[in-house]
Amino acid sequence: MNDSRHIASAFDRDLDSIHAKILKMGGLVEASIVDSSKALESRDQELAEKVRRGDAAIDALDEQINDEVANLIALRAPTAVDLRTVLAIMRMTSNLERIGDLSKNLAKRSDVLGQLTQISGATGSIRRMTREVEAMLKDALDAFIQRDPDFARDVIERDREVDEMYNTLFREFLTFMLEDPRNITACMHLHFIAKNVERMGDHVTAIAEQVLFYVTGETPEGSRPKADVTSSDMKYNPEAEPD
Amino acid sequence: MYDAPKSLETTLDQKTAKITARDVQVHYGDNHAIKDVNVNIEANTVTAFIGPSGCGKSTFLRCINRMNDTIDICRVQGKILLDGEDINDKRVDPVQLRAKVGMVFQKPNPFPKSIYDNIAYGPRIHGLAKNKADLDEIVEKSLRRGAIWEEVKDRLHASGTGLSGGQQQRLCIARAIATEPEVLLMDEPCSALDPIATAQVEELIDELRQQYSVVIVTHSMQQAARVSQRTAFFHLGNLVEFGDTVKIFTNPEDSRTESYITGRIG
Repeated sequence: MNDSRHIASAFDRDLDSIHAKILKMGGLVEASIVDSSKALESRDQELAEKVRRGDAAIDALDEQINDEVANLIALRAPTAVDLRTVLAIMRMTSNLERIGDLSKNLAKRSDVLGQLTQISGATGSIRRMTREVEAMLKDALDAFIQRDPDFARDVIERDREVDEMYNTLFREFLTFMLEDPRNITACMHLHFIAKNVERMGDHVTAIAEQVLFYVTGETPEGSRPKADVTSSDMKYNPEAEPD
Repeated sequence: MYDAPKSLETTLDQKTAKITARDVQVHYGDNHAIKDVNVNIEANTVTAFIGPSGCGKSTFLRCINRMNDTIDICRVQGKILLDGEDINDKRVDPVQLRAKVGMVFQKPNPFPKSIYDNIAYGPRIHGLAKNKADLDEIVEKSLRRGAIWEEVKDRLHASGTGLSGGQQQRLCIARAIATEPEVLLMDEPCSALDPIATAQVEELIDELRQQYSVVIVTHSMQQAARVSQRTAFFHLGNLVEFGDTVKIFTNPEDSRTESYITGRIG
């Protein structure tokens, strides 16, 4: 990887600006995940509102990054590592933007949940799952800064754990709903939240894959580790006992 | 992701080396200009030589048709094979060699003769035309292949030097292909041309690839990326990296290649 500066210093300034923005965006998205899950657990409506309002800043950065990347491609015809940098950032920014949206959705639902019956233990589990996704995102961004492909691969592997946490929650919610139909509304919302967090994990995995592309020039072959089995294996079976 | 499409890979596999250079060294007096260059140039392929000024790319290009013979202090060692035959063998007539390995230079250099005679000169001295009708046909065919026929067909007997720069360069390309060469060497053929004439020449290069091997030296990285399938990067007389153009421009192996193509101080 090439650390030296371009002969045209304006090229470096353009790249540095895009770099700074994607990292700033990453920081905002991390904070958004932390805050939305905290708001959910502590039923903090003010914090949830802050997350919802904060999404505009994330979207604005996404737009700015896309504009700057388009300009850089048009004006500087980047090649090799420069090309991989802007392509990776362009894809990373849309993944970050999506994570921001999912986090905002989590915050919205936490408001609704505040007015419903509490489901014991559920928000705690979601909080743990969210914490893992947030840690993965932090590590994926660190892998980007440090250009560390092994670190990025590690993040991709960890998505399996998030999927497994989601599977467990899926079963728990089913059980709660079977036990008492009055739990259904809350559990539906909680399930959407869990699914959203699971999706966030997928977006983080995609970011880690872009880090690999940026550093090595190759996209990982084969399919990602997938442990979310709810769409295929877990058919609704009222007789089944949760394990 | 950046592997060549399967069909292209297969065709590349089937292509044999048109030109093979083995351990080529060039000295200009005490100056060691080319150091141990080994390279295979494939048939029906555009190969681009890139690198900073003085890196040896033009010197190496000139080895391929023995243009360096004309420089007294220049010494070429190693083997350059064209279709398996050593071009530096004593039995090879450099004039015959240059009919097979044509060359187009940086500055358009039409002869101060008519457009017709510019093209007819080579076929005449090499005895490629039996009669006037034959020659007319060669002239028309070459001008058509040079993508300039439509512009000059009504003034074939006007002077070649009266054409615009871009037209002159296409005339020179038509002249180079009139002797039915197998390899076309181009030393910065577009550096004196405007973007439209450049695009026309680049389009022509792509068409010529159907019949010839084209080797092009260029300072324009974008041109190398646009026209070539294979790219060789020279630096300080060494061939640093040689590979598929797409690979060189997306993920080069050598940090010197990367520094050069991304415009960094290496």
